[in-house]
Amino acid sequence: MDVTVEDVTQVWPGRRGVDVVALDRFSHRFASRRFSCLLGPSGCGKSTLVQIVGGIETASSGRVRITDPAHREMVRPLGADSVMVWQNLNLFPWRSVLDNVAFGLEMQGISKTERHERSRTLLASVGLRGFEGHLPGQLSGGMRQRVALARALILERPIMLMDEPFGALDAQTKIVMQEELLRVFDETKKTIIFVTHAIEEAILLGDEVIVMTARPGRIKEVLPVDLPRPRSLEMVNSKAFGSLFDRAFHLIREEVMTSMAQQTMALETR
Amino acid sequence: MKPERGTFSGVAERAAPALVVIAVLLGWELLVRWHGIAPIYLPAPSSIATYLFRMIANGSIEFNLGVTLLRIFAGFAVAAITGVTLGVLMGMSRMVARIADPWIAALYPLPKIALIPLLVIWLGTGEVYKIVISAITAFFPIVISTYAGIRQTDQGLIKAARDLGANRRQIQMKIVIPAAIPSIFAGLHLGMGVTIILVVAAEMIGSSSQSGMGFLLIQAGQVMETEKVFASLIVLAVVGALVIKLQEWIDRKVAPWTAYRDEH
Repeated sequence: MDVTVEDVTQVWPGRRGVDVVALDRFSHRFASRRFSCLLGPSGCGKSTLVQIVGGIETASSGRVRITDPAHREMVRPLGADSVMVWQNLNLFPWRSVLDNVAFGLEMQGISKTERHERSRTLLASVGLRGFEGHLPGQLSGGMRQRVALARALILERPIMLMDEPFGALDAQTKIVMQEELLRVFDETKKTIIFVTHAIEEAILLGDEVIVMTARPGRIKEVLPVDLPRPRSLEMVNSKAFGSLFDRAFHLIREEVMTSMAQQTMALETR
Repeated sequence: MKPERGTFSGVAERAAPALVVIAVLLGWELLVRWHGIAPIYLPAPSSIATYLFRMIANGSIEFNLGVTLLRIFAGFAVAAITGVTLGVLMGMSRMVARIADPWIAALYPLPKIALIPLLVIWLGTGEVYKIVISAITAFFPIVISTYAGIRQTDQGLIKAARDLGANRRQIQMKIVIPAAIPSIFAGLHLGMGVTIILVVAAEMIGSSSQSGMGFLLIQAGQVMETEKVFASLIVLAVVGALVIKLQEWIDRKVAPWTAYRDEH
């Protein structure tokens, strides 16, 4: 599925009547079966953008069109073809791991036997065999992350939106989850929009890195990543990776400074 | 910090509470004996124990405690069913919340014991009066906690459920209500506490039934049988603690996840 974002602007009503422009005329085409990373300083509206694409938030203006490359004239309803993996996971704490994963199927009215069967298979494929009956609170951070991934994957929607999903993980677990995600991407060839503020992560995972400006969020530059697939962590040491990193680092540096200055100002004027 | 097993300080820390209880009882006993304090002011623990066993042997504790517990559970059940139902309805429908809000705001701060004269006029001094006064009192903390729990549902969970294809009704049944369970339980705990208080108070004031722990207390007090007063108080304290423990046990059985809920 292609995701075409056209002139999307998001304005939040701010304190003292001063509106905050989170996103400013953002336009980009996220091509089908491509892994796109949104890289930017905190507060640049990257999370807002994926939520708009997922139909979770409504943009103040502009539009998002989801189209099948084979039938370009048919615009799909927002949210129907995408699923979100959240920054704080949003697992349902009272549901077992199995019933968390099966949630989407349950909402569709699929029988208990079938949805549990499918959830079990998927859980096994992400390395969680034997934890079906556990509660999310009983699992480690990395395992919870896998549950969240499985809960999104089970719906087999062609677009996966990921909002800094690995932000809270420790360094080692993060590496394992990145490899897991690369495997999932190679196997399922979904369209993935992945929000991050980690330069290395963006380059390692993405086919393109969209560098965003500090608030109001605009596209600063789109960096194509031509590293071959399947990707592996060893590529981090390659020369091509190094020069992409430098390029992204210089682009993002200025924006992070601007973002920090904005935050300082916000604190001072409070 | 948990006391370490086996070490001297660990053993001491575990044994200390029991030792203090024994020391206090012993001090009390000696004080009463040495100073020859009259039992109608302060009976010795040993004679309270004797009375307690006698009251158990002749069945008066069992009977009155049974009656009181029945009233507590009846009042609590009425309050729990009506309170949780109204709280959920308020959380789900803004209309219901708007209508119920001024009533709750006005009636909640009213000391419910002040309603006793009115309830006696309307309902007499029988069972209905005792159940109604305790149910009214327990109703408020239950309805308020339930409503708060429903309203404070984590918006992230609601968004996630909607994203996974849940419709409005599914979100309410599968997300909002389960998410409110910890606050509903908190309300039920508060409700149980006030139910116990109000049932015993109602048995003491204007009751025609001549039964229950409150009646036993007031009757013993009126004839200055202080040992019986103390014995009844001990029974009430122990049973009250057991009821709370039972409630906590039920909580853990029904919602084991609340133990992990804050470890995101």
